[in-house]
Amino acid sequence: MFHWMTYAAIAIAMWGLNGLFMKLGTNRASAHSMVIWVTLGFTLLLPFLWAGTGLAGLSLRVIFVGLVAGAVNGLGNWAVFACLEKGAKASVAIPLTALYPLCTIALALIFLHERPSALQWLGIGLALAGGAMLSHETAPVAAPEEQLPCAR
Amino acid sequence: MQIEGGRIPVWLWYALLGIFFWGLWGFLSKIGTDAANPLQMQILFTLGMLPVAIAMLLHARAKLDRNLAGITYGLLCGIATGAGTLGYYAALRHQSASVVTPVTGLFPVLTVVLAFVLLRERLNRVQIAGMLLALTSVVILSI
Repeated sequence: MFHWMTYAAIAIAMWGLNGLFMKLGTNRASAHSMVIWVTLGFTLLLPFLWAGTGLAGLSLRVIFVGLVAGAVNGLGNWAVFACLEKGAKASVAIPLTALYPLCTIALALIFLHERPSALQWLGIGLALAGGAMLSHETAPVAAPEEQLPCAR
Repeated sequence: MQIEGGRIPVWLWYALLGIFFWGLWGFLSKIGTDAANPLQMQILFTLGMLPVAIAMLLHARAKLDRNLAGITYGLLCGIATGAGTLGYYAALRHQSASVVTPVTGLFPVLTVVLAFVLLRERLNRVQIAGMLLALTSVVILSI
């Protein structure tokens, strides 16, 4: 079993790599076309996931939570797309939406009763500020889905 | 952020909606990973996301670009995102959502570095400062 930061580093590495692929892809295909190919790429993983596990033993509640998690992530992607289509400047909207962990933190504090230590609060604050600042692009406007964490 | 005439612009509502949905995703992921392993969560996540993605695409009625390089990068994006989400779910099994989610939200640090090294994109001062904050936060949260 690894330290949780090792797993988080895998997420950062893969999502970061995705950002690079997205930059390269959107130079060659339209944003909407990319959504199609990205979604297809996502589903390509399904057979491998199924080979490694199954859904047997999971309660209906957990299955429901997992399905809704996927749906709300997709809705988040849709909302950010719509945000940019409604005239938002990407240099403002993308760093703003990069603050989505704030919402997760609020929900986790209220409903899961998580209580980070003082040191963890400091780290959380720096991570939130850093994440928003890293998403600040001054160059050509990024494609909307370029910054999306999941169904990019 | 400019609020014209005291009214909140439409785009800002959508941005807030995006923040809410993604934030809710992190919260639900924590609940799900308490009982399901990362592979199971990823299967459920994909199955839940697909109808929304399909509805979004049907609504857009976009013309499909069949550029081979575009397709390849698109597929790689999907695979990389899925692999990254597995890491996120694994991290959530060992640590609280309020700590893991801000850390994994730092993924643009790698995009920015890779774009700088491979695509020769320039880094602005805000991004450099953000990178320093990000690295500091990772060190603090690793303790």
